[in-house]
Parts: sequence; C-alpha cells; structure tokens
Amino acid sequence: MSFREKSAWVMGAIMLVTGVWYAQLVAAAPQAPVIGLLIPYVLPVIVLSIIAQAVLAFLSPREANARADERERIVMDRAGHWSGIVLGLGVIAAISMYIGGWSATLLVHAIVGALIVAQLAEYLFQVFLFRRTI
Amino acid sequence: MGKRPPITNRVRSLREKHGQMSQAALGEAVGVTRHTIIAIEQGRYSPSLETSFRIARLFNVGLEDVFGWEGD
Repeated sequence: MSFREKSAWVMGAIMLVTGVWYAQLVAAAPQAPVIGLLIPYVLPVIVLSIIAQAVLAFLSPREANARADERERIVMDRAGHWSGIVLGLGVIAAISMYIGGWSATLLVHAIVGALIVAQLAEYLFQVFLFRRTI
Repeated sequence: MGKRPPITNRVRSLREKHGQMSQAALGEAVGVTRHTIIAIEQGRYSPSLETSFRIARLFNVGLEDVFGWEGD
C-alpha cells in the first residue's frame, strides 16, 4: 500500500471518528453557541491529523517527502472533484432545511457537517481510486 | 473509469532484461512511484506520454517497442 493510500485511510478514519463526535456534540446541545461546539471538534482533528501524519512520515520518510507522481495527482484531483459535488449537495440540503424552518445555528452545523462528510468522501474516493487505479 | 485501457506494454520483460531492474528502481528513474510501475505492468494504468518516453529511452528502445494497441 502506497504512502498516500495509507494516509487516505488514516485521515478518513480520523474524519469519521471526529465527525461522529461532532454529531454527538450537536445532538446534545443543538442550540448552543456554534463556537462552543466547533472548538472541541476542530482541536482534536488538528492534533490527531498532526500525530497521524508524523507517524506515517516516520514509518515511510522517503515516500512522505516525495512529490505525488502523475497517477497520484490524477487520483487526488478526481477525488477532490467528486468530493466537491458531495459538498455542494450537502450545502444545498442544509440551505433547504434552513428554508424549511431550521435555525441559523443548525444551518451552520449542517454546513460544517457537509464539510466533514465531503472530506471523508474525498479520502474514501482516494482509497477507491488508488485501489482501482485510473 | 475502471475499464482497462486498450494498451499493452512490455515494461516487465524489458525491466527483467535490464539486469532484473526492480520496479522501485525503474519508478525512480522515470519519476513515478513503485505502485505506478506496478499499475502500468498490470495494464491498469496508461502512463502519460512523457513517462512513456522516459521508459522507452531508459531501455534504449522505441515507444512502440514498449507500448502497443490491444489486438494489433
């Protein structure tokens, strides 16, 4: 398994776990100030991402320092394109729910949720494309 | 997407003829990862024209000695 595929697996797992954590935070206090829920979500994401990337780089220093090659760039570009569609759909869904009566606070949480899902989707698309190749 | 490209190649046999050159060494010589060389050899990925030329030049052969069209 290549370094970038390992990285996609690990980052996908981090997004999934922290995304569930964020959903639980929102479910427990849906009308709480947004910043009060974002900070306990964003900080673990940053810390876990740094630790995960440092461990992966320690295990494969050469691959970690190498630039993505042509196939990897195509995989990442295509995964980014598809995840952009996921994000767009999520934002449209969030806006629709806001028009349907959701509060502005829940709109923000729904958009953050769409960002999380889109990021998770990007890593999953990368894994899929790396395994299937182009 | 996912459909095998209709391009055949002799990368593996050329690599083996050149002193059992490893996939990693070939990848390094032409600027791609070992995993990309594996994907090329398995016919799952068609390299760019630039990488194709790099591979052919490394083995001192023409482009059509490395790559061909399926069925030709």
